[in-house]
Amino acid sequence: MERRQRILVVDDEPQITRVLRVGLNGRGFDVRTAADGESALDTFSDWSPDLVVTDLSMPGDVDGIELCRRLRKRSQVPIIVLSVRDDERTKVAALDEGADDYVTKPFSMDELLARVRAALRRGPAPAVEPHGVLEAGVFRVDFEARAVSVRGEAVRLTPKEFELLAYLIRHAGKVLTHRTLLTAVWGGNYGEQVEYLRVFVGHIRKKIEPEPGTPRYLLTEPWTGYRFEPGE
Amino acid sequence: MNENKSVTGDTGAQNGHRPRHVAGSIALALVSVSGVAMVLSPLHDRISTTTAALSLMLVVIVVAAQRGLAPALAASLAGMLAFNFFFLPPVRTFTIADPENWVALVAFLVTSAIVGQLFSLAKRRAEEAVDRQREIQGLYADLQEAFDRAARAEAERQAERMRNALLDAVTHELRTPLTGIKVSVTALLGDYADSRGDEANLSGEDRREMLSVIDEEADRLNRYIGNLVDLARIEAGRLPIKRSWNAPGEIAADSVERVRVRRSGRAIHLATAADTPTIFADGRALAEALFLLLDNAVKYSPSNAAIHLSVYAAAGGAVEFAVEDEGPGIAPELRERVFERFFRVENSGPESVVGTGMGLPIARGIVEGHGGTLRIEDRPGASGTRIVLRVPVGDDDPAESSMRDSASLESA
Repeated sequence: MERRQRILVVDDEPQITRVLRVGLNGRGFDVRTAADGESALDTFSDWSPDLVVTDLSMPGDVDGIELCRRLRKRSQVPIIVLSVRDDERTKVAALDEGADDYVTKPFSMDELLARVRAALRRGPAPAVEPHGVLEAGVFRVDFEARAVSVRGEAVRLTPKEFELLAYLIRHAGKVLTHRTLLTAVWGGNYGEQVEYLRVFVGHIRKKIEPEPGTPRYLLTEPWTGYRFEPGE
Repeated sequence: MNENKSVTGDTGAQNGHRPRHVAGSIALALVSVSGVAMVLSPLHDRISTTTAALSLMLVVIVVAAQRGLAPALAASLAGMLAFNFFFLPPVRTFTIADPENWVALVAFLVTSAIVGQLFSLAKRRAEEAVDRQREIQGLYADLQEAFDRAARAEAERQAERMRNALLDAVTHELRTPLTGIKVSVTALLGDYADSRGDEANLSGEDRREMLSVIDEEADRLNRYIGNLVDLARIEAGRLPIKRSWNAPGEIAADSVERVRVRRSGRAIHLATAADTPTIFADGRALAEALFLLLDNAVKYSPSNAAIHLSVYAAAGGAVEFAVEDEGPGIAPELRERVFERFFRVENSGPESVVGTGMGLPIARGIVEGHGGTLRIEDRPGASGTRIVLRVPVGDDDPAESSMRDSASLESA
């Protein structure tokens, strides 16, 4: 029998860890919990979970953002951040430090489970430089020819549009902040040029979306960034 | 004068005013000089020319000091002519017999011109000084206003920061239990939907766990809202206090019982001195305040450490309730701040401590409503915190009872 997938839940609120333990257990996951960042790092070392779900505001030296930072130094494990804050900056900071996705409290079990499944499906991000051909959903990226096709139909892209779309497809399902995208495609000096990004996203949508006004693949995460869903 | 008028008409009152003012001053100077000369001239053979010259000089000085340079010069010239005409022999002619008197005349003119100039200069300086002072005062007022504005802006920024911090705290405290409830309910709903397809994945034990979380978190929300309401009442000065005669030992026992219900397993040692008098107070409210103090002591001290509550008569017609714990204690610089609403000492308790920053402010509100005080001390000879709740023994206040009487009369 296949090993049950392991999820480490980190939250200083005992009631939250209680319900998440029971809820995720019931869905066939193996769950351990930690009440602060330091013990989460210990459990991570001993137990090697497949996914980490962590709160952002926690007592001690290692809060949620710091936990993301330290986990990323040693692992590509998917991280989902839980936050009660409406504060976009905290969320964006966590994503910039390596979190893959976020869920705002209060959330439903279904929503969390959907995010958990998506993160586990995606698995650890490929660390190597892309080469050859990548197929994701209805998209096919040929990195050698620098060409993208949707449902077998070639898309005409400028070089920058190709880089942006290829980056989005490579990190499909993950929330990518404005800063991450700008830095990846344009370089560190463009980290604040969100308007730039909007223009390019608009162009790409016109080329790949059946209805650019209501995008299906290149989705906006309000105030935060973008997420790519490659379709079936 | 016509010219002056046209200037006035063209360039406004201030410019036009000055020449007329000067002309008037010159006229006044001439009148003054001739007046003094007229008065003194009948006496010319009895006073010396020096006296006459000094008297005329005096007029020049006064004119210079009062009216400025041009009138002073006019006065000098007029003075010289008057001196010559009335006092230098032969008098009542402009001829001068003795050459020595030419010297006197020229000396008079030069001296009076110089003196006039000096005085008018002094006058101008004085005027300038007044202007400068006015200017500086104006600048100072502007500066003051700028400072006031900056201070107001800073105060507003601070109030804004405070409001945001409060809002964050309230948001956190309301959303956390809501999250527990929402997750549990949606998990149970999902399980219910699955169970109809024979795919139930939560055991009976799991379901019970989720339901108990829902129950506890609903209570927590309710308590939190109750605390918010209490705090709002205290801040509005409308905490209802229903006084009656109470035994302090009973109040203390009630608060200890409340802690036992909420947090089983913690030893609280209650000691009531035999000579403790009864107090005229709101027993339930004081028990709540004591409960909040004990609850804090439980939360912020090691789970195996004892907590002491002692009740005794204090000097000055008061009763004190002292709560002592063996926790880390509260740093002296934080002993006032812990009474601020939503203030929490960072990293002060064990991992699972869930504080709202409302307990101590509410406790203080209740105690102050009784005219009492709450103070934090070091534990004598040991580590930990000692919080002393002090209330006056109180009295069936005649003013209050008469108010009650009139109230009952009204209702009757």
